[in-house]
Amino acid sequence: MSRGGFLYGLWCLGIIGVFLAASVYGYSPFANGGRAAPRVGGGYYGPTHK
Amino acid sequence: MSEGVQPAPAPAVKPLSCPACGASIELRAAGYTVTLVCPYCSSVLDTANPDVGIIQRYSKAARELEIPLGTRGTLKGVDWEAIGYLRRSEGGTYPWEEYLLFNPYHGYRWLVTDGRGWTFGTMLTESPKYGGSDGLIVDGQPYKSFFRNGRAQVDYVLGEFYWRVRQGEEVETADYVRPGFMLSFEGNEEERNWTLGELLDGKEMAEAFGVDEPRKWRPGGPPPLPHQPSPYAGSASTLGKLALLGIVALFVLTLIFGGSRNEREFEFSVTPGGGEVSRTYGPVSFDRPWQAVTIKAQASGLENAWVDLDYALVDRKSQTTYAAYAIAERYSGRDSDGAWTEGSRGATTKLATVPAGEYDLVVDASGQNWGFGGSSGPVPVTISIAQGATFWSNFILAVILLLVPAIIVLFRHARFETARTAESDQGSALANMMQGDEDE
Repeated sequence: MSRGGFLYGLWCLGIIGVFLAASVYGYSPFANGGRAAPRVGGGYYGPTHK
Repeated sequence: MSEGVQPAPAPAVKPLSCPACGASIELRAAGYTVTLVCPYCSSVLDTANPDVGIIQRYSKAARELEIPLGTRGTLKGVDWEAIGYLRRSEGGTYPWEEYLLFNPYHGYRWLVTDGRGWTFGTMLTESPKYGGSDGLIVDGQPYKSFFRNGRAQVDYVLGEFYWRVRQGEEVETADYVRPGFMLSFEGNEEERNWTLGELLDGKEMAEAFGVDEPRKWRPGGPPPLPHQPSPYAGSASTLGKLALLGIVALFVLTLIFGGSRNEREFEFSVTPGGGEVSRTYGPVSFDRPWQAVTIKAQASGLENAWVDLDYALVDRKSQTTYAAYAIAERYSGRDSDGAWTEGSRGATTKLATVPAGEYDLVVDASGQNWGFGGSSGPVPVTISIAQGATFWSNFILAVILLLVPAIIVLFRHARFETARTAESDQGSALANMMQGDEDE
């Protein structure tokens, strides 16, 4: 395997490792917990498509 | 098929005296050389007969060559001696150089360069086969058309050759390529020649003949050689396979650690415009050291109204609170475009990294109507809470990060290939001619 392929393999392992750790800890940067979900329209209530 | 021109017995080096300038010169392939260009006065001499005659008289100093004639080097395990030099061009543009190599037991070969790399050429003794759609086949390998209808002329000549070479000589040319190899055609009314060229490694060439290694291709610089393999092609393939493996691994991990269990449900009612309702549900136990928590709300009868939901998951022991917000909203109506609906009566909220323990879920809910067609009366709201969650957003983010280097390599590969093929005038004229020959 080339040097580039080896480095990319390491990159993949790193990503998978971080993903595995996040899965074990139930972590996601996209989780809703701890913050209010942003609303479209900055606080306006009602339909927004019209 | 790709055998070179094979001379029979080994020739001897023969000393000569240039009839034009009187200089003492050597004939390196005596017995095979037909034309010799004096390295001192550049006169073209006829060596086919014992009395060396002058074909063209010159009195100009020979130019210095990158590989001086007489230099020996080993290529492909064979010792070669540079005996002839041609400088050629297409009507004075796109110049390139060709060195004629000779070995008494292996015959003649060519070293071709235009400064971007060196190609080791072997003359073919058979014409290539027609390979369909602009392609030719040699030794089972397909070659794609790259240049057609070219015209090459000899601008400068030095050394000795096995044919009558002269300045200004013109031939028609065409080139076919596959990565690392170029199939070149040269022909005129009298003969057609095919040469199979193999791109040499810069180091191999430097070691063999002491020439400088060609510069690596850089974006914005001169284009790569037509038969130069993309330096990214191998990496792109490896990276593609690794990326695929990585994506499969991420998907499997998502399935293993995703999903939810131990779902509990409770229900209450909210009246839009009727003030805030607060409910506490518990205890809810989470047994893993850390987990995500999924809270789903479903307000089935909601119409042209919304329900704000403030969640607080409170650890009974430490009173640590994990807060989140959700909204269930549903709107509908009719306008000039017809009936429309917007929003969802359900809302899913995910809490991250909640430690093990016993919790109470506190829900503060308040509803409001939109306009005058909103829900009248209490709206039932069902809340479910479960241990675990599937974060597909994590999966997508990880896949994007995984693919970034692969996409960069793919982009570089595409950029290289675009630069490589930019000068091509791909066409099928010669291939058609070859097909015509085979049909006959």
